[in-house]
Amino acid sequence: MDGRRVRPVGAWRYLLSLLLSLLPVSAGAQALAGNEPLTVSGFGTLGVIHNSSSEAAFVRDLGQPKGAGEGWSARVDTLLGGQVDLKLNDRFDVTLQGISRYHHEGDFSPELTWAFLRYTPSPGWQLRAGRLGWDSYLFSESRYVGYAYPWVRPPVDHYGILQLDYIEGVDVTYRRPLGSGLAWAKLFAGRSTSHLVLSEALSAEMDISNLYGGHLNYALGPWQFRASYARADSDADFSVDREAFARNPRTLVLNTLIGRAFDYGAIELYSLGMTYEQGRWQVQAMQNRSTTDSEGVIDSGFVSLGYRTGQATPYVMFSRVRTSFPEIPAGESFRQRTWSLGMRYDVATNLALKTQLDRVHVIRPGLLWRETDADWEGDRITLVSLGLDFIF
Amino acid sequence: MSRVRLPAIMALLLGSAMVRADIAVVTHDASHAVHLSRHQVINIFMGRYRQLPDGGLALPIDLVGLKDRFYRALVDRDLAEINALRARQVFSGQGSPPYQADAPEEVAALVLQNPGALGYVDAAGVTPDQQIVFMLHE
Repeated sequence: MDGRRVRPVGAWRYLLSLLLSLLPVSAGAQALAGNEPLTVSGFGTLGVIHNSSSEAAFVRDLGQPKGAGEGWSARVDTLLGGQVDLKLNDRFDVTLQGISRYHHEGDFSPELTWAFLRYTPSPGWQLRAGRLGWDSYLFSESRYVGYAYPWVRPPVDHYGILQLDYIEGVDVTYRRPLGSGLAWAKLFAGRSTSHLVLSEALSAEMDISNLYGGHLNYALGPWQFRASYARADSDADFSVDREAFARNPRTLVLNTLIGRAFDYGAIELYSLGMTYEQGRWQVQAMQNRSTTDSEGVIDSGFVSLGYRTGQATPYVMFSRVRTSFPEIPAGESFRQRTWSLGMRYDVATNLALKTQLDRVHVIRPGLLWRETDADWEGDRITLVSLGLDFIF
Repeated sequence: MSRVRLPAIMALLLGSAMVRADIAVVTHDASHAVHLSRHQVINIFMGRYRQLPDGGLALPIDLVGLKDRFYRALVDRDLAEINALRARQVFSGQGSPPYQADAPEEVAALVLQNPGALGYVDAAGVTPDQQIVFMLHE
């Protein structure tokens, strides 16, 4: 684990020194005279969450080993991100992004989320290579940028599972006007590593290879639509915490089952998404289906409706997730539904305050909850969140 | 009848006195963009598609003091909403925001020096070497 923790920092240093050595070359070739070639910016969230349940701890995604148990916690939503954009000339630029948040290592150690070179031969075409964001789903690439969306966090019923921190590879985007709207298509290919904490006692390092896919988008007036597809081969390396098993031996059966569900060789992801922003109304909706080669199915989706009045944007959201793994006895599939009610308040043009009430109905427990007993049969859980999102 | 009309006319006059000047989207060389549609201006300034009608790359420039009114009139969004959209673009690696100019003189200088540059200024302040490619009415 230590070797892995050192590597991103080394990569950062290496890339930064590489970029700094390029600076003098680029100084004379800026796109806009007077424009700074180097931009440093960032984003962050200070978030606290209150959990009403003493039986289950809430996590934002499967990468978080510990959750927010009964009472208040600042662990799951608080984060800080920094980004460096360097324009080399009219056609080439480089972007680096790092995020510090609570993740699979059980701490806030920063991770290099992106490091890519972009080539823009014309306004319609863009090619990128390096460590890229995962954007198979609407909002995936900006899911840690709280300032960019109305909610305290994107709905965990969807964004808590099946997300990658990054992909290492290439992508190409083509844009053009079509009818009275704008169409764009993106194709990507690469590989990734994903760390999943399936329970306190069981975690998996997923080696994801032959990852490719793409999406088609169309924006027309207030509407935007996206249809996407991705597929990948997956090789899971499970690690078991024997002490955690010893403390709670009843979880053995559950863990074996969850482990089997994630021990698939290939996965395909399908997604349909749309947004509608007209005047004061904001609507976002998405429906996803993922299938594994061992006939596992994960369905997830959400609908959110917001209304902006002055600096305030109250919203209501419904999300759900349902898994079905034929190898697992039917009762062990994971199902939950969430109703969320919240408000974003724009204090300034770089600062937003948010509050959100989540009522989660865990119908079949399994994923996304920590510190549960093996005989926990699910519950209705109330979460109250407060967040302060900023950009700089 | 005339008693009814007088207050209505006065309200109209007062109302029109409060209407502010139009905002002109300008470039230096009109051959790049003889005229832009509202859709094209939105695509360029919102970072969706920065292609000029002649195929060249559009380089949008924000004028800090006029930004609030410009985006309110163009897409009916306030600056917090514009910044939220920009944050999504920048921090998802999809592109850079427009260059931020502090004064109309800076816009004028940038537009003069860069063929694809597009700025916006108060319609009353358009200089002879600037070509108006789109007029935004508030």
